[in-house]
Amino acid sequence: MKQTTRRNLLLGAVATTGAAGIIGVARFPGATQAKAQELTVEDVLFDPVNPVLGNPDGDLTIVEFFDYQCPYCKANHPDLMDVTGADGNIRLVMKDWPIFGAPSVRASQLALGAVDVGAYETVLAALMATKGRLSEADITATLETAGLDLGELDGAYRANRGQWDGLMARNDFQAAQLGLRGTPAYIIGTTIYPGTMNRAELKEAIANARA
Amino acid sequence: MSRISNHIRRAARSIATALSVLFIVTTALPATAQLLSLSNTAPLPADEAFQITVADQDDGTRILSWDIAKGYYLYRDYLAAQTESGVSVALDTDPGIEMDDPTFGSVEVYFDTAQAVMGPADGPVTVTWQGCQDGGICYPPVQQTFAALDGGAPVAAVAPPADGIVLAQEQGMIDTLRTRGGTVLVLAGFLGFGLLLAFTPCVFPMFPILAGVLSGQGDTLTARRGAALSGVYVLAMASAFGLLGVAAAWSGQNLQVALQSPAAIYAVAAIFVALALSMFGLYELQLPQAWTRRLSSAGAGRRGTFGGAATLGFTSALIVGPCVTAPLAGALLYIAGTGDVWLGAGALFALGLGQGIPLMIAGTLGARVLPRAGAWMDGVKRVFGFVFLGMAIWLIGRLIAGPVILALWAALLVGAGIFAGAMDLLPADAGPVRRGVKTGGVLSLIAGAIMAVGAALGGSDPTRPLAMLQSVAEPAGSVTFSTVTSASALDAAISAQPDQPAMIYVTADWCVTCRVIERKVWPDAGVQAALSGVNVIAADVSDFGAQGQEMLNRLGAVGPPTMVFLNRDKSEAPGTRIIGDTGPGAVQKSAQVLQ
Repeated sequence: MKQTTRRNLLLGAVATTGAAGIIGVARFPGATQAKAQELTVEDVLFDPVNPVLGNPDGDLTIVEFFDYQCPYCKANHPDLMDVTGADGNIRLVMKDWPIFGAPSVRASQLALGAVDVGAYETVLAALMATKGRLSEADITATLETAGLDLGELDGAYRANRGQWDGLMARNDFQAAQLGLRGTPAYIIGTTIYPGTMNRAELKEAIANARA
Repeated sequence: MSRISNHIRRAARSIATALSVLFIVTTALPATAQLLSLSNTAPLPADEAFQITVADQDDGTRILSWDIAKGYYLYRDYLAAQTESGVSVALDTDPGIEMDDPTFGSVEVYFDTAQAVMGPADGPVTVTWQGCQDGGICYPPVQQTFAALDGGAPVAAVAPPADGIVLAQEQGMIDTLRTRGGTVLVLAGFLGFGLLLAFTPCVFPMFPILAGVLSGQGDTLTARRGAALSGVYVLAMASAFGLLGVAAAWSGQNLQVALQSPAAIYAVAAIFVALALSMFGLYELQLPQAWTRRLSSAGAGRRGTFGGAATLGFTSALIVGPCVTAPLAGALLYIAGTGDVWLGAGALFALGLGQGIPLMIAGTLGARVLPRAGAWMDGVKRVFGFVFLGMAIWLIGRLIAGPVILALWAALLVGAGIFAGAMDLLPADAGPVRRGVKTGGVLSLIAGAIMAVGAALGGSDPTRPLAMLQSVAEPAGSVTFSTVTSASALDAAISAQPDQPAMIYVTADWCVTCRVIERKVWPDAGVQAALSGVNVIAADVSDFGAQGQEMLNRLGAVGPPTMVFLNRDKSEAPGTRIIGDTGPGAVQKSAQVLQ
């Protein structure tokens, strides 16, 4: 039985309009009214806008719903990066799901802005290396220490604001549709792993996904 | 065992779901059905991890208790409550456990249980909390709305409104004043006014009383003893003022709202004019002589003691001076207008302290060091008279058209200049003080004349009276608002652009600060860039009636100028609201947070 659970197929798509109203759509009425009708695995694993880390052509996708202020997301981020790096055949998709208020939103905005500047990985690494809660001042200081130009990041975010805000809206909507209870939440292959995972658990989950 | 049974349960669910075709869209399944299946032990749903119960108290407060599952914790900082209109409700919480390890940074959290005492509030209250599974997962904020308390009826949870605007927890007037550095200015201002009051005839009746306190010491009075006794006297007096300030601020909590009505503004302005006339010597405002006498004799039995000095200081504070009453009434009106208890207490304490400084000097060094009474003391009273007239003009400036107000300022400045002797001839041997006063008077006269010209030209801004003379070429571009004047129009304007965040600017014709904002904020290129792609709406409350009030209620705003920033989901972005005067930087900062 356990194996069945672990192998976990991608099972179905969901969301009635009514039910969606309870969970996701009420929060983003404009962004998702049309898309609320269906949610596919493709949507979750292969969002066309979300930056991809690791090997973009990898045979396995790991998605993490995270927040830059979530302590557990940050604590096991080094393990996640090590494991995906060592594997070499994993697409890693970090999905911004800011749930800790304005500083989290700001951090995500700047990180996504960094995509067009070619500094996404630097921003992600710098912010994920911080501890615990962040103020906007902490974010500014962290990124400036990492040698980044805040004005440039902000400008890049603003230039594509519709796209990035849309992405965050989709992430939030998907999290609600998937019944994710918070951050971090991982999707490895097609299995959802809520909560933090250590190195061994990650490896096991990857092996299971490929099995 | 439970872990295994969980797996079995989930597997069964997986199989059941697998029977449906891959990737099809079904409309019958509940939204919680799995698209992807769950793996390891799932964290509890948030409402199981944190269970809230509410106990009503007789005094209108409520005790919120959270039963926190083992291995889960709540953040102290994220506990919040607010009314439907977005006014934050006080939550009294105990210190939590400091989580201070490398993973957390420093945060206060509660394990097992948490409690908060929630202050009384009108209408339904929405409580927000947020927590984590220790070492596992962090939950998004959880909200629950509790119905209004009415006569001890059981509290039922009601569903939060699914639609409409969600206001962020609002910071009060107090914080706004503080963040603007206003508190220090207000306190310093009141200290200065107190000092000024000390040089009116108001304070003279206090000298005999203080002398009485000191004379109880007989010939043994040392400078140190004198300083200590007069210090106690002055502190007691200042404390009495402080208590008055508390009372005024409390009674005035609702006065801010009352002051939104034109009738109330005219009434308060009229009171200021009446106070000013008293300062000009038209009549005296004072308490009955009998009270004065009785109170000043109250501490007389214990001359020379600290207790006696304190009693006398406390009781004599309010009644001894024939002219303290008017300035004090003015100060109390001002404090009542702010509705801020601590500020009120502090400001009035500062006033008393300022007034007592010369008394302390006299008590220490003897009365000979003080300046002699003279006509100049009436001059000081007149300063108060002009300050009060200025308050009156400032108040009705919200209601009356700009040029009229500008003309009133002109008249005030000309009057002040004349009273300061601007048109009087100085004798050749006049001293520097008189020459300085005349200089001030002439400057005031000139400023008044310029404002009069500005008013005649139709100008309305006291800081730029002659702006009408400049070319009317507006700075290139400005923010383009859609203007609404009712709550329903406001809703319509917000939903007209469902894909955009919104910024609502509460403004009015009679709002002077709004004119300043319109001149220096909206034309700013950075502000325009920050607000591009944002649905900008002007909520115009010029014609202040039920419609305007409804809009203000909807926005949880006290009045113009207020800027409310809404995310796409129509929830107010926390910490972005701007109340009162502001600059381009603050507006950009708030706009940047929008998503």
